[in-house]
Amino acid sequence: MLTVTPHHFLILAFLLVGIGFLGLLVRRNVLLMLMSLELMLNGINVALLTFSKVGNNLDGGIFVFFIMTVAAAEVAVGLALLVALYKKRNSVLSDDMAYLKN
Amino acid sequence: MISLALSMLFLPLLSALVTLLFLRKNGNLASLLSVCTSAGILILALSLIFGFEEDVQAWDTTWFAMGGWELRFGFLIDAPARLLLFIVAFVGFLIHLFSLGYMAHDSARPRYFGGLSIFMFSMLGITLADNLIMIFVFWELVGFSSYLLIAHYFKTDEASKASRKAFIVNRVGDFGFLIGIVLTYWSFGTVNLIELADLSDFSPSLVTTSLCLALACGFVGKSAQFPLHVWLPDAMAGPTPVSALIHAATMVAAGIYLLLRIDFLFTDQALGLIAFLGAAMGLYAGFCALVQKDIKKILAYSTLSQLGYMAAAFGLGAPGVALFHLTTHAFFKALMFLGSGSVIHACHHEQNIFKYGGLRNRMPITALTFLVGVLAISGVNFLSGYFSKDAILLWAYNFNMPIFIILYAGAILTAVYMFRLYFITFEGQPRSESATNATENSFLMTGPLLTLAVLSIVGGYFALYPQRLGAYLGPDLAVVSSLPHHMWMVVLGTSAWIIGLLFARSFYWKVDQVDPLTRRYPGFYEICQSKLYFDEIYRFYVDKIQDPAARFLEIMELLFISGLMVRGSAGVTALFSMLAKACYVGRIHAYIIWFMVGTLGFLFYSAVLLD
Amino acid sequence: MNLETILLLGAIIVPALGSILFFSGFPKSGETLKKLGYLVFGFPCFAAIFLFFRFDSANGYCFEFLYDRMGLQELGITFHLGLNGVSSPLFALAGIVCFCAGLTAVHSGAERLRLYLALLSMMVSGLMGIFACVDLFFYYLFHEFALIPTFIMIGIWGGRDRRSIALEITIYLTLGALISLGGLVALNVLVDAPKFDFPHLSEAIARSPLLESSSSKIFGLLLFGFGILVALFPFHTWAARGYDSAPTSVSMLHAGVLKKFGLYGLIQIAVPLLPSAAECWSPWIMWLALGNIVFVGMVALAQTSFKSMISYGSVMHMGYCFLGVAACSALGAGSAVMLMCAHGLSIALMFLVASFVRKRTNTFEMSEMGGLAERTPLLACFGIAATLATIGLPGFGNFWGEFGIFLSLGESSEHLIFLVIAASGIVLSAIFGLRAVAQIFFGKESEELSEHIQKYPVEDLSSKEILPASFLLGALLFIGLWPISISQRIDEDINQKYNPMFSDSSLAKPSCCPEDTDSSLPVDPSPVE
Repeated sequence: MLTVTPHHFLILAFLLVGIGFLGLLVRRNVLLMLMSLELMLNGINVALLTFSKVGNNLDGGIFVFFIMTVAAAEVAVGLALLVALYKKRNSVLSDDMAYLKN
Repeated sequence: MISLALSMLFLPLLSALVTLLFLRKNGNLASLLSVCTSAGILILALSLIFGFEEDVQAWDTTWFAMGGWELRFGFLIDAPARLLLFIVAFVGFLIHLFSLGYMAHDSARPRYFGGLSIFMFSMLGITLADNLIMIFVFWELVGFSSYLLIAHYFKTDEASKASRKAFIVNRVGDFGFLIGIVLTYWSFGTVNLIELADLSDFSPSLVTTSLCLALACGFVGKSAQFPLHVWLPDAMAGPTPVSALIHAATMVAAGIYLLLRIDFLFTDQALGLIAFLGAAMGLYAGFCALVQKDIKKILAYSTLSQLGYMAAAFGLGAPGVALFHLTTHAFFKALMFLGSGSVIHACHHEQNIFKYGGLRNRMPITALTFLVGVLAISGVNFLSGYFSKDAILLWAYNFNMPIFIILYAGAILTAVYMFRLYFITFEGQPRSESATNATENSFLMTGPLLTLAVLSIVGGYFALYPQRLGAYLGPDLAVVSSLPHHMWMVVLGTSAWIIGLLFARSFYWKVDQVDPLTRRYPGFYEICQSKLYFDEIYRFYVDKIQDPAARFLEIMELLFISGLMVRGSAGVTALFSMLAKACYVGRIHAYIIWFMVGTLGFLFYSAVLLD
Repeated sequence: MNLETILLLGAIIVPALGSILFFSGFPKSGETLKKLGYLVFGFPCFAAIFLFFRFDSANGYCFEFLYDRMGLQELGITFHLGLNGVSSPLFALAGIVCFCAGLTAVHSGAERLRLYLALLSMMVSGLMGIFACVDLFFYYLFHEFALIPTFIMIGIWGGRDRRSIALEITIYLTLGALISLGGLVALNVLVDAPKFDFPHLSEAIARSPLLESSSSKIFGLLLFGFGILVALFPFHTWAARGYDSAPTSVSMLHAGVLKKFGLYGLIQIAVPLLPSAAECWSPWIMWLALGNIVFVGMVALAQTSFKSMISYGSVMHMGYCFLGVAACSALGAGSAVMLMCAHGLSIALMFLVASFVRKRTNTFEMSEMGGLAERTPLLACFGIAATLATIGLPGFGNFWGEFGIFLSLGESSEHLIFLVIAASGIVLSAIFGLRAVAQIFFGKESEELSEHIQKYPVEDLSSKEILPASFLLGALLFIGLWPISISQRIDEDINQKYNPMFSDSSLAKPSCCPEDTDSSLPVDPSPVE
């Protein structure tokens, strides 16, 4: 039986962040990019909680609360922006949103 | 004495100012004012010359001072100054009188007489100044008044070009003069003529050839010697009295006067150079004069030739003889120019001598006085020109044979072209309608002619000169009378003008519309006409070298400085901005990759590069 | 606060207030506009001339005004006004040219005249302030004050290509000002002086001299910064095209007065504070100044437009002033100041004549003119007088300045080559000057001109035009005929500053070069007597 050490959690966190980052890089759909961002944030949360458990204090957990709050606020704003942009350009693809080009 | 000199100097300036401000439309009043001014100058000049026993007076006032250098304004009225003062004042007065008649129908008389007044002011300044910088200031002012007066008929292209040429060629001479003055100041510590004379005696090592030749550049420009002689014939585009006053009697003589003032600064090599160039000019100008058709141009070349004689005399070491010849030349040349003015006026501004003829019967006084002038310049015995020329020739014969030969040939040539001028203009039958209708002019114009004729006759008798005027001439003329070979020189001199007269008589006694020389010796005529291509060389320089160089430099400037440097550096900045702009792709993925690169770089830096 | 100090302060403040009034839209009708214009431009002129004649040539500054409670004391900056021997003739020059330029502007009939006059009076205020300042910070500030309005004025009221040229000239000049600002800031930082003005700085440097390398670098910054502002070769291209497209009043003020800012800085501040650096850099200045005289002179020769020719000619004459500065002697620097005064007047007069000619012939191309002297003799008189003044005829002030500079060059034998080449400039300027006069005023009328005159008959100068022109000409003649009146003031001031430093020939010539960075020997201290 495999003993679950903090290493596994860190690998999980790394994988989550990595998948999220790759998703950010690869996806063209802005909604999916936002979802990847959330994935990354949650991966960070896992890592923080792991370190909190290892260090036997609550610092990591408190920070996780902050991150979750900020993530929620950010999602709200991001989705609102996305809807407004969709109404303008009728598309959710990031390629169609290069307004600041040159 | 100082107030006398000052008032004499500033009287013409005041008259010019009054003419400029108030009399611009009133020709009669302006001309009258100018003539009265010149009369006043004459009276003041005579009292200045004869009224004082002392030789030298200086009036010192600091006019300009900067950084340890002071420019003082003062007068030096010694022997040569007195003689030149007399010439300028007297001949100037006569020419002002003549101008009253000659310019009576001109529409721009105020401008003309104002210019004459400014000229008188400047010329008196040169005569009286006691230091080189003052001479330079008045030198340039004389050049300016010459510019103004030559451009009197400015509607013609000829006058406009000639005035510019005169000023610029004079400026080239002034450029050398200026450098000479600067060098003089730093070598000797002063520019005052008296102090310079003392210092050059005291430490002769300071006197160098380059210094005196630099100063002599002013002479070369003003007195139209090689190679800056090209402006004088063209300057005949001005009114005839101007040619008489400025380009015959006084301004061109200012160059010789400058040489006299600084003769203690000359080394032997420099003197030799000046003598040689002067003699060469004497001969060259004679050949040019031989083939001219315009009466004023003949007289202009003759002036060039006589100036060469004066320069040769100076270069041979006889400045007194040079001044003597200057004096006699002023008389007979002004006479002949005024005579030509009389002829031009009577023939309705026709200047081609081949359109004259038979004027002796129609204008007897003019013809007679002109003949006196011709005889004087040819060196006919007992007239003024004979004595001064004889002195130069004798001096040359005794001290420098090659120069004597050149000068002697020039003397024969002088007689030839002067008699040619006389015969074609006054003898024979009238060759055109204007000549047929010519009549003698008023006394206002013939009076000065008669006066100058008398002076041309008696001006050579040095014994008649009052001591005050002749003091500078005395020593050199005493040497002349004691030189050997005097009798032989009398024979040579007499034969020179007789040969010339015979040549002229044989060729030019009966002519028609064409110069007989073109038929008999066309090649010789062509060579003389070419004037050794000086004008063409200068034109070539201006058209093919100077102007293209200017355009080339303009293109260089536009291309390299304005283009490469200024627009180029703006372009480089634009290049950087384009590079920066290229990063702004607009797509969010690119920014994410940049973000990753930045983060990795920072991690790398902090982990590996920092210790 | 006596009368003179009030006048000095007023000469700066009245145009500034006038500018504010013009901007605010207060003068409604044309008449009040004109009268306000006369007042705004006439007061500095009157004040400047009055102060010039009341100047008591004691050493140091006259008519001082000090206001030091501005909160910048740690930097040593105070609002310190005053005139000394060098600045009082230049202040008078500024006043006279500002008056004439202002008169021209008021009568010019430009569109949006109120805005034009507002900007012009701002520029005037800055110009008067430049020469009245003792403190270096405000010296720079007033320069910027005078420079920025030219951008707008050229951009709106200029001639051909005005937008791009306005941009070019402003950026170029601001760059130059920036470089010189670097030098000034370096002076402020490196020199430990309680106040940031010339007397305190020179005292501080005398007490504890700067390192040779740093003083050389500071001088280099100041030289090139000021040099760009005065159109030193090869940084001169802005001048010709800028003046060509600028409106007349702006050209008069810029070429006549603003250009002298850099030279004034060099003569008044840079050379006296850093004499050995000046001697090091002197060959550079001389060669570049020769470039000005010969190269730009030849380019002037190739111009066919009257205004371009005048512009290039003015750049050429700045070369003489640089030679005078580089000669590093009291004679050279003082003559440079004389030439600056006279040149400012003569170039303003030339631009004025050019505008008169333009008004009558509708062109600046000289080949399309001709024979104007017959129709407009008075204009021809002023034109010929202006040209002769510019080319250095004795009787006008330019001659004395040029002659003094030539004389100063002859002092040491190594400068002789510069003397010879520079003196050839008098022939060059005569060539293109007289060529212009002949093409415009003499000769026969060209066909284009005859056609134009049939439609718009030509009149001689009106009294409104004669006033500024004769004022400038009169001032030129005054300097030319009584040069001692100006030179006396300059001389005493310059002698004090320059002679202790440069006349001592036993001081070994410093062997420093601008690239020499490893010499850390202290500079020979200037003995303060």
